[in-house]
Amino acid sequence: MNGATVADLGLVLPELILTGMALVLILVARRIQSTSVPVVATVLAAAAAVAASWWVLSKEPQSAFGGLITVDGYAQFFKVLVAAALALVALLSVKGLEGSGAPRSEYHVLLLLASVGMMLTVSAVDMVTFYLGLELITLCSYILVGITVDRPSSNEAAIKYFLLASFASALMLFGISITYGLTGTTSFSGVAASIAERGLADDPLQLAALALIAAGLAFKIGAVPFHSWVPDAYQGASTPVAAFLASGSKAAGLAALGRVVVIAFGPDSPALSIILVGLAALSVAVGSVLVLAQTDMKRLLAYSSIAHVGYAVMGLTAGTDAGASATMTYAFFYVFMTLGAFGVVIGLGARGATLDGYQGLASQRPGVAGVMLLFLLALTGIPLTSGFVAKFVVISSAVGAGYVVLAVLAVVCSVVSAFVYMRIAVLMYMREPESPTPARFPVTLSVAIAIAAIVTLVGGVLPRLITDWAVAP
Amino acid sequence: MSDYPVLTVTTFLPMAGAVLLFFAGARFARWIALAASLATIVVSLPLYTDFDKASAALQFVESVDWLPDWNIVYGMGVDGISIPFIALATLLTVLCVGVSWVAVKTREREFYAALLVAETAMIGLFAATNLFVFFVFWELIVIPIFLLIGVWGGPRRVFAAVKFLLFTLAGSVLMLVGLIVLYTTCDTLDFRELAKATIDPDAQVWLFAAFLAAFAVKVPMFPVHTWLPDAHTEAPTAGSVILAGVLLKMGAYGFLRISLPVLPDGVAFFLEPMLVLSVVAIVYGAYMTLAQTDIKRLIAYSSVGHMGFVTLGIFTLNQGGVEGAILQMINHGIVSAALFLCVGMIYERTHTREIKDYGGVAKVAPIYCVLLTVFCLAAAGFPGLNSFVSEFLVVQSAFATEGWLGVMAIWGVALGTVYMVWLYYRVVMGKLNPGLEGMKLELGVREVAILAPLVILAVCLGVYPELVLSYFHEPVKALLGGAP
Repeated sequence: MNGATVADLGLVLPELILTGMALVLILVARRIQSTSVPVVATVLAAAAAVAASWWVLSKEPQSAFGGLITVDGYAQFFKVLVAAALALVALLSVKGLEGSGAPRSEYHVLLLLASVGMMLTVSAVDMVTFYLGLELITLCSYILVGITVDRPSSNEAAIKYFLLASFASALMLFGISITYGLTGTTSFSGVAASIAERGLADDPLQLAALALIAAGLAFKIGAVPFHSWVPDAYQGASTPVAAFLASGSKAAGLAALGRVVVIAFGPDSPALSIILVGLAALSVAVGSVLVLAQTDMKRLLAYSSIAHVGYAVMGLTAGTDAGASATMTYAFFYVFMTLGAFGVVIGLGARGATLDGYQGLASQRPGVAGVMLLFLLALTGIPLTSGFVAKFVVISSAVGAGYVVLAVLAVVCSVVSAFVYMRIAVLMYMREPESPTPARFPVTLSVAIAIAAIVTLVGGVLPRLITDWAVAP
Repeated sequence: MSDYPVLTVTTFLPMAGAVLLFFAGARFARWIALAASLATIVVSLPLYTDFDKASAALQFVESVDWLPDWNIVYGMGVDGISIPFIALATLLTVLCVGVSWVAVKTREREFYAALLVAETAMIGLFAATNLFVFFVFWELIVIPIFLLIGVWGGPRRVFAAVKFLLFTLAGSVLMLVGLIVLYTTCDTLDFRELAKATIDPDAQVWLFAAFLAAFAVKVPMFPVHTWLPDAHTEAPTAGSVILAGVLLKMGAYGFLRISLPVLPDGVAFFLEPMLVLSVVAIVYGAYMTLAQTDIKRLIAYSSVGHMGFVTLGIFTLNQGGVEGAILQMINHGIVSAALFLCVGMIYERTHTREIKDYGGVAKVAPIYCVLLTVFCLAAAGFPGLNSFVSEFLVVQSAFATEGWLGVMAIWGVALGTVYMVWLYYRVVMGKLNPGLEGMKLELGVREVAILAPLVILAVCLGVYPELVLSYFHEPVKALLGGAP
């Protein structure tokens, strides 16, 4: 371990690009409030960050800033994913924020900074950077959820989210401090070495610390039983913010969970397996069952995201590299399919907010109904969409680790949730329209939806393009 | 041999047609669909001309790594068992386009696209050489059929579509777990490799049960057949034809491809229940058929019994029985598809499916009635027509296995004659129903052309069944040689 050097800055180029753009936008905020500059700037910065993440890792994996972060294939994978999600959310926001009164410039600054937090989280190999990254995401998210100040529901959601999330952060910090007290180090590999060396795996205090950290992370990704904030936050927040929480935030949280599992607490820890299996089983079951009762699209997608997080965590239960890469694949595909679905919801405006609004859509706008069907099939996990590949790899990991019952539960729940996704398909295709034909989607939105649809389709037909690249740390 | 990947091209050509549909005007939709389905037959021709019937091995094999990290391969290949099904699927799709020519007036592009995607899924399923590809196509077909029923179906279409979807999904996800367990124990999903693998007998029992869940729903076996009458009845004619003609065969084909070769101990464990369920389906199905008052529902219920013969034949585990079962699938595909086509054609004119609204049709539509006679007799197992041969083979094997199975099967055959002849009597014979007066019930040239190939097949396979049987002598021998 040595100190930071200037050369290390090159390794955090993607983060620097996003941060730089955020600072520029803050400086000129008042001049560009009502223009399209913030969107363009954010998309450009995100694209540059994708390219930079790619470029930074054309070299060997290396750690930077005295072992606080690492830049490896795992981090690269998630950084590209986070930046891509950022770009898509920025595109969705053009239509999604129309008439909401949200200050565009600050909004995009917060998106950018939250993305920096995500990037920091996914490359963290030290408890401190890990915590800092997660907090940066969460702080920006509080404000994003409440940014439409004129709407009481938005404020309410932000306050609820703030109270619960601060509690979760405190739990996690407590867990980190216990771990530090026991092992004397905050680096993941150091913690792992110390646990192995001193036989702390069964130490009650260590188990408590593990449980606290896992609980904090479960809260961030919205896994059951720490999910109660998710539906309220999604419903109260404006739709693009909900999309952002469902995509980038989840991916970063899953990435962090993956690192903690594989590196810090070790794949062999039975306690960790129990925690992960429990989280996966509960999330899948509760998410899939409660989604059935939803009539509000944002709440529906919120419960759907809870179930999907459960599936993603299933990959980690194996504690193997293959399992971790299954989770990476799941996160990647899920981000695009859920962003696509949110995109359609945004495009349909007020009509898209409730289930009834989808009635007869296929005869009015066959193209829109077609892509929505694609996203719904992917969320259900039907072959030739990315959703199937994703489910296949995570369930295989769980079965490989011997959790056959969990696998059965997962597939049964996928049928249960299929009921609600297919109900939307039934409404779109098998009912007569009751409301007037929705307006055409703006170009920005169409582009974002098209990208999501392409990834969802290509991921289903040629999954190699992603799975070859999803390599565990 | 031809120099293009025959199976891949045959499988995905319809899907390419479906994509093309969205770039063409709605006026051309049916022409594009017709062209795509005919072209599919043309590109599949090498399958019949270059096929070596003397070999039990997979032919026209194609293999590409699909998910190398997970050792999953996109594999295509056919043996003598799959070839007749591919022929059936390609032929029936053309007929479906034909029968929908004027019947489908709303959202034509989507309709034909769904039909063509269903064709891709059917062909792909029968051409798959590994379980993963098999499963992909297995699931893929659910969506177009769901849409066909739910969008273009009868009055209770949404209910029927959702019921179909949930039944099949519930079955197939258990298969997915079975698939994954097989995959983690054997580290391969290739049918040939799996057949060689040794799997713990206790595990085989569970695996058999998991696959049974999927196959039994699709066949459909008693007691999970209840989706079938609803789906068949509410589906548009083309949907019923695909369902009865090909979709029902997927389950039985699964037994032949997976359960028998890979899970012999599971088969041994479940042998008796399977035989019992088969004869229950035959007899119970026949009685249910007798009670129906709706023509389409009647034919739908008759499928339950006819597919009972298929599972009975398969689980007798002897050469004659299995060959009879496969032949029965082909025959049922021809005959029940033809009957659904006949019903659809007359429904377009009368807009009623109630048997009591018909009667004396022979007086006004002689050609129609001649064709209907052939199909009704074929369905009743009349000697000289196709189903006779297959039912005979199955019944003979049933007697060889266990006397009372044969007796029950014969009972089913007898009841089959009763309901078909009774149906025929009530629809065709007697005085013309006053409600039908003034209607032009006779078939047009297009409709006769649609039914003609099926009549020819029904007669040819009745007179010379070896035409199809010759394809599966060798593969069935190999299949049963592997089983204990």
